Amino acid sequence: MQGMNKQNFLLIAEGITKIFPEVVALDNVSFDLKPGEVHGLLGQNGAGKSTLLKILYGYYTPDKGRIIIKGNEVKLKNPRDARNHGITFSTQEITLLPHLTVLENIMLLGSYWNKELSYLNKEKYLGYILELIKEYGIKINLNEKVRYLSTANKMIVQMLAALSMNAYIFLFDEPTSPLSSYEVEKIFNLINMLKSKDKGVVFVTHRVDETLKICDRITILRDGKKVGTVDAHKTNEEELLKMMLGTNIDEFYFVEGRKEMKEITKTETPLIELRGIYSIPTKPTEVPLRDVNLRIYENEVVTIFGIIGAGKTELGKLLVGITKTARGDIYYKGKKIKIKSPAYALSNGIFYLTEDRRAEGIIPLLSVLENMSISAFKNVSLGGIIINAFKEREPGTRFVKELNIKTPSLYVRASNLSGGNQQKVLLARALMTGAKLLIIDEPTVGIDIGAKIEIRRKIREISLKTGISVLVLTSDLDEALGIGERVYFMHDGTIVSEYTNNNPDEIRRKIISDFSNIVKK
Amino acid sequence: MSTTEKKKEEEIAVKSKRKSPLRALLDFYNTHDLARPLLPFIVILIAAISISPIYFLAPVNLKVVLYQTAPIALLALGEALTIIMGSIDLTPGSVSGFAALFAGLITLNIGNVPYAIVLTLLATTAIGALNGFLVARLKIYSFIVTLAGLEIWRAVDLSITGGSPIYGLHQYSFLMQDFHTFIPLVFIITLIVYVVFLFILMRTTWGRIIYAIGSNEEAVHLSGTHASLAKFLAFTVAGFLYGLAGIMLIGTSAYIVDPWTAYGYELYAIAAAVIGGIALTGGTGHPIGPLLGAFVLTILTNILIIMGYTQYTIQEIIIGIIIIAAAPALTRGLRWVK
Repeated sequence: MQGMNKQNFLLIAEGITKIFPEVVALDNVSFDLKPGEVHGLLGQNGAGKSTLLKILYGYYTPDKGRIIIKGNEVKLKNPRDARNHGITFSTQEITLLPHLTVLENIMLLGSYWNKELSYLNKEKYLGYILELIKEYGIKINLNEKVRYLSTANKMIVQMLAALSMNAYIFLFDEPTSPLSSYEVEKIFNLINMLKSKDKGVVFVTHRVDETLKICDRITILRDGKKVGTVDAHKTNEEELLKMMLGTNIDEFYFVEGRKEMKEITKTETPLIELRGIYSIPTKPTEVPLRDVNLRIYENEVVTIFGIIGAGKTELGKLLVGITKTARGDIYYKGKKIKIKSPAYALSNGIFYLTEDRRAEGIIPLLSVLENMSISAFKNVSLGGIIINAFKEREPGTRFVKELNIKTPSLYVRASNLSGGNQQKVLLARALMTGAKLLIIDEPTVGIDIGAKIEIRRKIREISLKTGISVLVLTSDLDEALGIGERVYFMHDGTIVSEYTNNNPDEIRRKIISDFSNIVKK
Repeated sequence: MSTTEKKKEEEIAVKSKRKSPLRALLDFYNTHDLARPLLPFIVILIAAISISPIYFLAPVNLKVVLYQTAPIALLALGEALTIIMGSIDLTPGSVSGFAALFAGLITLNIGNVPYAIVLTLLATTAIGALNGFLVARLKIYSFIVTLAGLEIWRAVDLSITGGSPIYGLHQYSFLMQDFHTFIPLVFIITLIVYVVFLFILMRTTWGRIIYAIGSNEEAVHLSGTHASLAKFLAFTVAGFLYGLAGIMLIGTSAYIVDPWTAYGYELYAIAAAVIGGIALTGGTGHPIGPLLGAFVLTILTNILIIMGYTQYTIQEIIIGIIIIAAAPALTRGLRWVK
């Protein structure tokens, strides 16, 4: 730990309680931050870490408890109050103005929040920023427009803006989720610089390995309560996981079920077959599919592994008629079909579960139960028109139990649930449809470890028990190898290789070598 | 539920009860859709009764309130269907005006009232279907489609009568009769319509899809539900409701209709829906809300007239103020509004 000043803590939060209409988000949580320290906030989704952070930067006000900054009790009624007390935050959403340059952004933001800095006195401000860049060893082009920067660099710009406002408490909410490992190193270096300048950093994450790497102390939250605060140098992954999950973590690494994988006879007619599929992108960000060939048989779990930009989502959406086919054919049980829309796909027993649950999945103002049954009207209603409330409730309650969805009731608005639980609601929606082929796009991204394991196990269980086929699109190689009976490797819009997953370690090596061969070209 | 989970729910309930009564009331207000229109309704009712109990509560006057609310409530319901879906409909005024005129013309030339009513309803339903087709299938913004509709159907009104009014449509007096129940027929019809739609919006798949579309249309589409069809039907049904309201207007406008009948009524429809708790952002709102909202508007106008403010402009100004005052209640919880 860095040298402690004689001064007290930078920040003390005492007895913070926050209650939302149906959920106790935080229950008497205390937290403190020393200068020159990186203090990690660890916990599963729904544990309360984001809520605590939002209280610290003034987005929420606590129902109980107080906040003391540098020895003075303060009331943070909005983020501006927080900024005025030297607290700055960085969330996953970048709040920079994309069409302006780095320099313009820093100057605008800085002078907006800090009265002493003036956008009008550009030279003085520029000099100040250049000094900061030198001091922190940041390598960035001040005249580059922000929209062209990488995510990591955008974060660095935000931090630079914060530094120019004399911030001394830096709050980070899951900063590493959108970053590659190289970019993570960059951010960590900057955080270490902040440490050396006696700034305080609060680092919220659900990634245990990261907290051990960068934090000095770690506070673990679970279900809104503080489990404990530990010294990062004196603990290990197992202990942290135990505190986070509260259970025995022998099942942490998901490997079961592989024994049941069966050999597919090549003579069987596949449930779905794609031959020579090419797609036409309708948006500039869409990845065009080229010569995609794949087969999915009945009663199997197939995974497609590929990094971001490989075209997995486009492929998934092709199977429900959203991505436009330019060339090639789709065969359903041996017959050629044209899939016109998600409704048409569903009538053929194909359902696509989106990865973007907020924009395309969850219907926020509808209840949890309504979200689940929206695709399954024919099963819960009379003639597809009149809803039978009792018929609806039974599968709803069953799924809440089976998938362990944390919700006060089936009838609260779905927007009240945490991200991981929303994902489970979507999974319930997919299961309620009775579809024969479930396409699940990134089932566990942005979800904590506990829920990840649950969902992966559920997927295998579903296929084994009900005989439906599942196609999982994932950028997580462990996930692909952990649940797939057959694994496809996809890159740049096309299928690179196909493997039967009888020896995961060997297949892993093969895929990695396939990947390096592509990169070398 | 396991005992630990039960305990936690109790904990939450206990902690929630420990709030101050004002806090509890506010939370109730925010989470229950019916509370939003109920508050202004009760307020205006109490205000009206206190300002002039003699005149306001006179049976003759109450009847007036009822039969003036009836058509507006139907316009507001049709509008609410659209707004809940996240769209907007600017045609209530023009279409109901057209309906009144159309029915009047047919009655004048053929004299058969049921025939006129049926044809009129078919016509307005078709207009609604046209709107629905343009919005749901051709994907033109509802604001644009219905703005055009507003102009077009008003122009049609002007051309089919050459600008002159139609008098003496006393065949429609049955609409205003109360058949010894003190409630005029028009209002009974409105009530029946509302009961039907209460069921439709809360208990049918179509109703739920409408709310879902207003909340997240992309998700509805991806979930394999026929979102476009539901949208189309909503506009079509709204057209039907506007037609019904238009026919009622023949009765409530002293049996005289002219090309300017129901001019500007789309604003009343929207205002009534908004006061009724139908958020303009869509996805939420209680089906009875528009009825309460319509009442608020009519009672307000009524009490202003009783107090002597018979000028149209003053009434409009006050209605405008009320709408702006009611609006913040609808955006509670939103961080920014466009």
